[in-house]
Amino acid sequence: MTNPLSLRAKAEDQAARLPALLARAEHLAGAVLLGAHGRRRAGVGDDFWQYRPAQIGDSRRRIDHRRSAMGDQEFVREREWQIAQSVMLWVDQGASMRFASTAALPQKADRVRLLGLSLAIMLLRGGERVGLTGTRLPPRSGNPQVLRLAEVFCQDDATDYSPPEHRAMIPHARAVFISDFMGDMAGVQLALTKAADRGVRGVIYHVLDPSEEAFPFTGRTIFESVGGTLSHETLKANDLRDRYLDRLAARKAELQRLCALTGWQYGLHHTDTSAQSALLWLYTALDSRAGRAA
Amino acid sequence: MTILGGIGFTAPWLLLALAALPILWLILRAVPPAPIRRRFPGVALLLGLKDDESVSDRTPWWLLLLRMLAVAAIILGLAGPVLNPQEDRAEGSGPLLIVLDGTWAGATRWPQQMQAIEAQLSRAARADRTVAFLTLTRPEDPLFQSADVWRTRLAGFVPAPWQPSSEDIARASDIMAELDAFDTLWFSDALDYDGRDSVLAALQARGSVEVYQTAANVLAIEPATYADNVVTLKLARAAPGLERQSVIQAEGRDPAGNARILATANATFGEGETTATAELSLPAELRARITGFTIAGQRSAGAVTLVDDALRRREVALIGGRSAREGLQLLSPLHYIEQALAPTADLIDGSIADVLPANPDVIVLADIATLSEAEATPLTEWIEAGGMLVRFAGPRIAASDISRIDEDPLMPVRLRAGGRSVGGAMSWGEPKSLAAFRDTSPFFGLAIPDDVTVTAQVVAQPDPTLAERAIAALSDGTPLVTRKTVGQGQIVLFHVTATAEWSTLPLSGLFVQMLERLAVSSAATQPDAGDLAGTTWTPIRVMDGYGVLSDAGTLPGVDGADLIEAPAGPALRPGIYGNAERRLARNVFATDGTLTPASWPSDVPVRGLAVPPEQPVAGWLLSLAILLLLADVVASLALSGRLLGRNRAALTGVLLALLCLPLTPADAQTSEADEFALSATIEVSLAHVITGDTQVDEIAAAGLRGLSDTLFFRTSVEPAPPTAVNLETDELAFFPILYWPITPNQPRPSSEAYSKLNAYLRSGGMILFDTRDADVARFGASSPNGRKLQDLAAPLDIPPLEPLPGDHVLTRTFYLLQDFPGRYNSRDVWVEAAPADAEKIEGMPFRNLNDGVTPVVIGGNDWAAAWAIRSDGAPLLPIGRGYAGERQRELANRFGVNLIMHVLTGNYKSDQVHVPALLDRLGQ
Repeated sequence: MTNPLSLRAKAEDQAARLPALLARAEHLAGAVLLGAHGRRRAGVGDDFWQYRPAQIGDSRRRIDHRRSAMGDQEFVREREWQIAQSVMLWVDQGASMRFASTAALPQKADRVRLLGLSLAIMLLRGGERVGLTGTRLPPRSGNPQVLRLAEVFCQDDATDYSPPEHRAMIPHARAVFISDFMGDMAGVQLALTKAADRGVRGVIYHVLDPSEEAFPFTGRTIFESVGGTLSHETLKANDLRDRYLDRLAARKAELQRLCALTGWQYGLHHTDTSAQSALLWLYTALDSRAGRAA
Repeated sequence: MTILGGIGFTAPWLLLALAALPILWLILRAVPPAPIRRRFPGVALLLGLKDDESVSDRTPWWLLLLRMLAVAAIILGLAGPVLNPQEDRAEGSGPLLIVLDGTWAGATRWPQQMQAIEAQLSRAARADRTVAFLTLTRPEDPLFQSADVWRTRLAGFVPAPWQPSSEDIARASDIMAELDAFDTLWFSDALDYDGRDSVLAALQARGSVEVYQTAANVLAIEPATYADNVVTLKLARAAPGLERQSVIQAEGRDPAGNARILATANATFGEGETTATAELSLPAELRARITGFTIAGQRSAGAVTLVDDALRRREVALIGGRSAREGLQLLSPLHYIEQALAPTADLIDGSIADVLPANPDVIVLADIATLSEAEATPLTEWIEAGGMLVRFAGPRIAASDISRIDEDPLMPVRLRAGGRSVGGAMSWGEPKSLAAFRDTSPFFGLAIPDDVTVTAQVVAQPDPTLAERAIAALSDGTPLVTRKTVGQGQIVLFHVTATAEWSTLPLSGLFVQMLERLAVSSAATQPDAGDLAGTTWTPIRVMDGYGVLSDAGTLPGVDGADLIEAPAGPALRPGIYGNAERRLARNVFATDGTLTPASWPSDVPVRGLAVPPEQPVAGWLLSLAILLLLADVVASLALSGRLLGRNRAALTGVLLALLCLPLTPADAQTSEADEFALSATIEVSLAHVITGDTQVDEIAAAGLRGLSDTLFFRTSVEPAPPTAVNLETDELAFFPILYWPITPNQPRPSSEAYSKLNAYLRSGGMILFDTRDADVARFGASSPNGRKLQDLAAPLDIPPLEPLPGDHVLTRTFYLLQDFPGRYNSRDVWVEAAPADAEKIEGMPFRNLNDGVTPVVIGGNDWAAAWAIRSDGAPLLPIGRGYAGERQRELANRFGVNLIMHVLTGNYKSDQVHVPALLDRLGQ
């Protein structure tokens, strides 16, 4: 990989994908912001929240003289949403996500990146701090964070079924795990229990391709994972369908059980449905939990 | 060759291999298909699952069927099948007589007939038979010659535009009586005629007879008739058959004199009917130019009917005195003339100036005394060119001084003042009757009814010319109708009114006859034989068997009675005949004629003209087999999932391209201008003018791209990528706004481009001029760019300008703005000046300025540079320093948004000034 030619080609490839992902994510986020939730959060810290008596330590500049002039006491004007929440994302970049059953559908990886980045943009616009789980990109606020996130999201992971990253979780922050959860469940369980130990609440978002729900295969087939690490041969694929669906349902039930235990929320999304509704669901899921926590 | 069920096989034993197909079926069924490799992330859930059975899916039945069909096609193809196998027929021997009907009925199929004859001649040549020809429409002594000689002379046979007459039949019988035994091939035209049976009997007495005739039906058209403004055309066909539609074409000459089809009509034969009728309603001018009708798709003399004067009617313009009041119909001065002329002439209404360009044959003026100079002069010219002016007297003429002292050029005689009245309540004497017409009068010979009386008239002055000009007189000798010739035309004056007021003449049949004699009206009836007996008609143009007209040359004239009644033949060819006065058409197919199909006795074999050639189909079957095998390859690949690999798109593309290659029409390319128009109009597109300076043009394009993106993200305007506009060649009307950066040395547009620009500005377009020098110069001619702008904009239609006022609608179309920075932040931005009377309403923040979008915005802030983005969305050029610079870029973007909103939505943001007035009106 030290060949400068291939390095440059790859770099240009990455650079070409970045603006497209950014623009789509901005557009998606803008469309949702214009909806039911938009105005409530417009202008962080601009909304009046309450007057409270000034305390020692308050800067004199913060004293609201208009209110204070009505009496002898000095008041400070507090604004809404001044305290930012940290939200940590884990977006599965593994090889298993780079799959789309038909050309008309987006790859799962495309969809989860789009959702992750759009959610990040919306949260950042709402004044929250957004980052990744793990030590790679800790939560920060501001527009430059969008660019950093986009940069990370543009990189593929070679691992076939990557386990959730659970290190360096900030206590009492919030987390969003987006993946197809096809891999080993032990990693997921570890991550969730660890998160619950630290008081981190969040959302498990299960993204599946329609063919993974329907299993529309027949005949003699060799199934291979996208990364090529697993394979399974069958003579009659249609006979496997019911048992596969049972296992998938069991997987979903397991995820839901884990969520119930740890106080997380579970959501299911198929790549053939609209990204906008998924984003809306994610946003309200985070929103409602935030409201209850406050 | 073995013939099985109409199909011949060269190697029939190979067909036994078909019995092996079921065995092949069993073998192929037992072989399992190859496994499919699929990428599937859900495989993690599949691990450890076992199959219930160890038997794999078998090959699907349709794939087996495909392979079976391919093998069957190969077997059949190798067996050598042949369609229409020809049995070897006996060639015969001895002399051969080929009899042709040679009538117009076979003209349409004449080439096929000649091909069939040629095939027979080659057979006869192979058998060494001598051949003679006998054409029944032109019987001549047959000449038995070798078939090869006749083949070179086949082109000389043409169909005749008539049927064999009784003399022709008699002559043919005489000829055959002199010959020895021979075989006959009779090429019939499928129509019956008198004497055909006797010819057949004579031929059968000499040898075997074989008849060849076409299966196509014979069509013919009857002469056109005209009544009630409708031309009626009747078609006939020989054999009743299925429903069939025929198109009739009216042929004639267009005003430029070129032959063309003037109109078409459809006639439909009902099922089982042998006649069909079509009606055609045409304007008189068009109808008069028709020379004939033909049946489209037929090429015979019977499918053509020629038209003589029967369709032509004279055009008569009727002009009455102007009446200021609404009169009763019966009091109209033109009522009786209209009644008399309506059946036989086309009437035109209107003023003289209106009708003269239509060049009518006759103009009738009823009681019109004076004509203005502007009317009289063209009217005189029209008369001198052959027009006929018919005037009627009346109270106005009697009361006027027209033609009193000197003869009026538009009056045949001088008139006495006042006229006279006889036989009335206040006058002596009886009403006068008419004197018999003299033999020099055009009315000579018309019987005068007793009840025609005249009670009042205008009286002619006695002049030397009066006697010769009077063509009808009263019983006391007073002229009643006078006429004089002017140039090639004539003027006729009836000294009475055209109504029954002054005389009973208009009530009588004599009036109609007199008008007819004056050739005001034309007889529409077709003459019969008795009318034409003894007259001689010379052929002008004659028709051949194909229905093609040619000049008659020196053909002799024919007797009038024969022309109507005698059958057509060499002496009386169908065509147009004429004498000094009129023309008559003689058509092949007469009115109420019938076509009888020829029927042959059962012992005469009748064959069609077309003989299907032998067609080997082995090649087709083998190609089909290859195609099936190819389909099998594709299907097998698809089943095993290998068809849909990474190269699927490319593969499909190649296949589609191969398929479509021969189908793509060569002229599918649309012109460049159309493509430009399409790309510019499918979405809103911002445009910049090409200055010729590459760097400036690139920045302008990048700026508009950036502005388009800003609009896309922030507003509901979602523009297409910006367009670079060449003022000289491109159409401007598609663009809402033109961004025009000024460079000191850009070329001046041509005058055509300026007229385009002015049209663009007048029709609501906007140009944003940007001198890009606000950092060093102010508005005006102080910089090279400013001087260039003045030079460029001088020919443009630009209204008075003013610096952008604080209450201009541009300050609030989307964002609220007071500054309009670009890369530079100058406040010198000029727009169309507000009207001087714009006033500010109490309580409103801006003046009442709500008309029009400013056609130009002029400034020097280099906006494109501030808007410009790179292809990855990052700003192209730095603006200012730090956050202040970014703020300035943001304001520049906002100005761009405001500008586009102003262009697209106009000034609706100004409409708020009406809110107080509206509330006031609502009574709030």
